[in-house]
Amino acid sequence: MSVVKMENVVKNYKVGKVDVPAIRGLTLSIEKGDFAAIAGPSGSGKTTMLNLFGCLDKPTGGKVFIEDHDIITLKPDQLADVRNEHIGFIFQSFNLIPVLTAFENVEFPLILLKKDGPSERRKKVLKMLADVGIAELANRLPSEMSGGQQQRVAIARALVKNPDYVLADEPTANIDTKTGHEILDLMQAMNQNLGTTFIFSTHDPKVMEHARRLIHIRDGQIESDERK
Amino acid sequence: MLLKLAFRNIFRNSRRTVLTLLALALALLFLILFDSYYSGLDLKTFETLIDYETAHLKFYPQGYKEDSDNLPIEKAFDPAPVLAVLRADPMVKSAAPRIYFRSTLSNGIYQLPVMGLALDPAQDETVFTMKQSVIQGEYLTGTEESLVLGADVAKDFNAGVGDSLTLLCRTRYSTFQALDLPVKGLIRSNDYVIDYNCAIIALGEAQKALDLGQGVTEVNVRLNDIKQIDAFKKKYASRFPGLELWTWREVAEDVIAHSEGHAMTRYITFAAIIIIALIGISNTILLAAFERTREIGMLAAMGMKRRQIVGLFVLEGTLIGIVGSAIGCLLGLLLVVFWTTRFGFDLSFAMRSWGNIGFRNLVFKGAWDPGLILLAFFFGIAVSALSSIYPALVASSMQPTEALRK
Repeated sequence: MSVVKMENVVKNYKVGKVDVPAIRGLTLSIEKGDFAAIAGPSGSGKTTMLNLFGCLDKPTGGKVFIEDHDIITLKPDQLADVRNEHIGFIFQSFNLIPVLTAFENVEFPLILLKKDGPSERRKKVLKMLADVGIAELANRLPSEMSGGQQQRVAIARALVKNPDYVLADEPTANIDTKTGHEILDLMQAMNQNLGTTFIFSTHDPKVMEHARRLIHIRDGQIESDERK
Repeated sequence: MLLKLAFRNIFRNSRRTVLTLLALALALLFLILFDSYYSGLDLKTFETLIDYETAHLKFYPQGYKEDSDNLPIEKAFDPAPVLAVLRADPMVKSAAPRIYFRSTLSNGIYQLPVMGLALDPAQDETVFTMKQSVIQGEYLTGTEESLVLGADVAKDFNAGVGDSLTLLCRTRYSTFQALDLPVKGLIRSNDYVIDYNCAIIALGEAQKALDLGQGVTEVNVRLNDIKQIDAFKKKYASRFPGLELWTWREVAEDVIAHSEGHAMTRYITFAAIIIIALIGISNTILLAAFERTREIGMLAAMGMKRRQIVGLFVLEGTLIGIVGSAIGCLLGLLLVVFWTTRFGFDLSFAMRSWGNIGFRNLVFKGAWDPGLILLAFFFGIAVSALSSIYPALVASSMQPTEALRK
């Protein structure tokens, strides 16, 4: 069963008066439980693809379906709702809110979701922080944590609302190799334990080794799509 | 959580926030101080007018007011029937007649035009507070042949109590009259019309000298409650044939016009202060928005809607407004209570050369207006919230993909 799929997607960016294609007629389906890496050199269209999967951008042509809804028909507020309910994000530079503690950062998406009361939220946040191995750092501010610890908070934040899939744009790019592997192991464990679908971009061959599905793209087109 | 986030955000760059808070607080502080002085000016001016010149209301002969600058005495009327009716009215605290007449004061060498004022001391002091303003010598007691002068008029003649001066005037039939009168007392009322310009004699003496019989040029009324002015005016407007009734505001319309002119200056000053504060706050929030571009992108990616992002920034502006306004209003309150209402600016040295600019006080003290301080508090918050709308719109209009790339 697919959680998100693209059909014949084209995405062009306007640079001056010229249309520059970033994605050229791409068709792809991400299945539930996938742990998929999108690999390719810089400028190959990885980030554009993630943006389209993340409903952060709309395609110039073609269709993107999330739960059978074509996102091209949705208004900005509806897209925000889709992102809020269905998608978790992990960013290269963590992007935690610097004035909130680890606990509060992880709690934030649940507050936006408005589904749980304070005690339910607290329970979920503490469990998630424990799951990613930083329960004892709950009251620390991002500035008081290492890069690896911050990325763990970001993973907890992405997973706490139990999204259909998590998008991670080069999640290990800003941390050292050892910590990077730990983060990927953690993502893998979450994928296996919670069944959450992960889609992450990378150009690091060592990171690609962790993926169970490896999608190579070049010049905005799929070069290969392999499952391990 | 949004409130917590907004509150912590405003202290992210604490130096900048402190400067912004200071800008808003100082703007409100100046606004409160200016207003205190302006209100003090008006309040004191109106008080002085009522206490020395206009009372609450005045009966003038028909057509007198239009010509009142010339102090005509030809239309003098007998006040007895009017006073009898007024003194029987429970609305009326007191009533007293006066005569204003044109005159010239001379010491045999110099002459100066002055405003002659004739009054019955016993009746007059029930309406006006002239007697309390005597700073040298004594006030008139009855019908004695003597003169009480504004302190600055006496200074002009280098005259003191006991010196004799000549008051030159014309009778109602335009014949000249000269009265040699000793100076009995000097008055410092802080009403420059009195202090710089007035020679006071007893009513009976003036009536004899001006050939007015029992005539006076006005009857002044002080009510028990100033709020009953309109009711009184309605009741007595056409009660006495040949007389017109004017409220103190109508009598002092030039002063009121000045006050309204000052009010315009006041609004312009306020507007300038507020615009400066508005730009300052707007700039702070705009800088904060630009600094947090990527964070805004992340919030949007997490599913925060545009209006929620606008709300967050407006909330930050509002919080700055609450803190800045509280500081400004508190400082303003302390300064008004302990400074402006206690210590005034003594401008008596300049008042004579400024002439009639509508003020009736020489020492400008502030007034205490708690309503204004409360208004300034909410105004500060509103200005702050308003000035954050533009930066909030700028922040929320960023495309998440673009914002995340920054």
